[in-house]
Amino acid sequence: MNVIGTKTLLSKEVRRFLRVPGQTVLSPLISTSLYFVVFGYSLGGRVQEVGAIPYIIFIVPGLVFMGMANNSFLNTSSSLFITKLQGTVVDLLAAPLGPTELLLGFIGGGMVRGLVVGLLTWAVAAAFTGFRLAHVLPTLGFVIIVTYVFSMLGFLTGLWAEKFEQINFFPIFVMLPLTFLGGVFYSVEALPEPWHSISLFNPMVYMVEGLRYGMLGSSSLSPALGASILGVVAVVATAFAYAALRSGYKLRV
Amino acid sequence: MLEVRDLVKRFGALTALDGVTLDIRAGEIFALLGPNGAGKTTLIGAVCGLIRKTSGTVKLFGIDLDQDPVSPKYQVGLVPQEINFDPFFTVSESLFIQLGYYGKRRDPARVTEVLRALSLDEKASSPTRALSGGMKRRLLIAKALVHAPRLVFLDEPTAGVDVELRRDLWSYVRKLQTGGTTIILTTHYLEEAEELADRVGIINDGKLLLVEEKSALIRRLGEKKLEVRFKQKIEGLPEHLWSAGAVLSADGCRLSYVERKGRPSVGEILRLIYAAHLPVEDVETRRSRLEDVLLLVLRGAPKPEPASVPAREETLRGDELLGLAVRDK
Repeated sequence: MNVIGTKTLLSKEVRRFLRVPGQTVLSPLISTSLYFVVFGYSLGGRVQEVGAIPYIIFIVPGLVFMGMANNSFLNTSSSLFITKLQGTVVDLLAAPLGPTELLLGFIGGGMVRGLVVGLLTWAVAAAFTGFRLAHVLPTLGFVIIVTYVFSMLGFLTGLWAEKFEQINFFPIFVMLPLTFLGGVFYSVEALPEPWHSISLFNPMVYMVEGLRYGMLGSSSLSPALGASILGVVAVVATAFAYAALRSGYKLRV
Repeated sequence: MLEVRDLVKRFGALTALDGVTLDIRAGEIFALLGPNGAGKTTLIGAVCGLIRKTSGTVKLFGIDLDQDPVSPKYQVGLVPQEINFDPFFTVSESLFIQLGYYGKRRDPARVTEVLRALSLDEKASSPTRALSGGMKRRLLIAKALVHAPRLVFLDEPTAGVDVELRRDLWSYVRKLQTGGTTIILTTHYLEEAEELADRVGIINDGKLLLVEEKSALIRRLGEKKLEVRFKQKIEGLPEHLWSAGAVLSADGCRLSYVERKGRPSVGEILRLIYAAHLPVEDVETRRSRLEDVLLLVLRGAPKPEPASVPAREETLRGDELLGLAVRDK
């Protein structure tokens, strides 16, 4: 195990996104803040409460989830894709960095960006609603596994993509609809049939609800189920990424 | 140091490497020569982990890359042919990152030393995208050397580098060799290979045509050309000159001769010219360069005999003994 190599790659990944904070940290923060203000205040006035929780507080975990998931994904996918595009992937391939080192470095970088954006989103929300953290450990567990899973999915997308357009395929066509339909802005429980049953096939629902359980103390679905789904996705995605790196898929011709 | 056996790489129907077998000795400078698309970069890529080989084995420092593709890489440096740079970082940051990838701790003294050796010290804190083409090329070299590897691949290291800096780089490469580094280089400047290489390998269509000591190769396939200009027109050459292979130009004013293995030397021809009292005005000789030899090999010049030189001497001695024996009878 090349410990110094792994740390170097991780620190390079973090410095890379910190070099362009306007794009990587500030812009997601502004968009989630806008969601918060627009949905929280405009809709919040009508919806009032969801399961005894004021609407403006109810949407905070979903927004934190969105910030973390999107930014973890974007960091690994764009960093790996740009590395391939500008040819610096040669440096990584020629260096004594095996699949473990490469995954730890890239995934770690994506997780740090997801955590930074998630934390800042939460801080902005807290400025409006006050801090509220019901269960510290479950929240921390969900935060870690969400950033891990989406960093890994971003890594796989960056590995697979050959055009810039393909980098956006997963966030736009999969993540965005599933997140918006995943109970960020409403409780899935309140949906009429058949939408309620259909929604239960959306894995994002369990992730959002899991984080909601951690942060707000109650959720309409079992947080254990959410954690299990994330755990399964994490294991499968890691296995795929590891196998791809071992075989040299799309990196070595 | 590096052992390549029956290495094959196919890209669909194209065979980029067709059973290449090659041994690189510790401490040598080896030049891999051949036309574009011959397989030079593919060969380097297969050794450095950029390319998935189709079959064959590659051993680096005695370790089979199929068994352990990672640990031999600590001792290898690669200057890739294509210029690449990470626009997010400065020149010295790029080198610190590279040091880290190779498991080495942050070492500002080492980074400064390498930057100075490549005349990049003034650009240490410039962003990499602000460098000129030649400077980017030198940064690639610095990145390949900063972790002090035992084996360095230089794939077209001086493309786009101006003449003066090229000379500096050559002396730096020689200095590296003196320090014990083994160097494998590909180049389009045959002068570079001629200047630096101990041995050359000539590759074409994915096949390694020959591997030979550079000086032995030039001696074996090289020629020396003699051009003599006369003060006035000559009416035909004396017999011993034309039978030796000298040729008189159609206007009778110039004599040309090519010295090859087994023919009289240029000196001998000159002696014959002066002995015949020909009115010499000017004499010019030119020795073959690696470039001429490379063209000959690519056109199908014979490979060196498989037997080593002493063995051939023994054979000669045997023939002589046989001759004596015949005469004795």
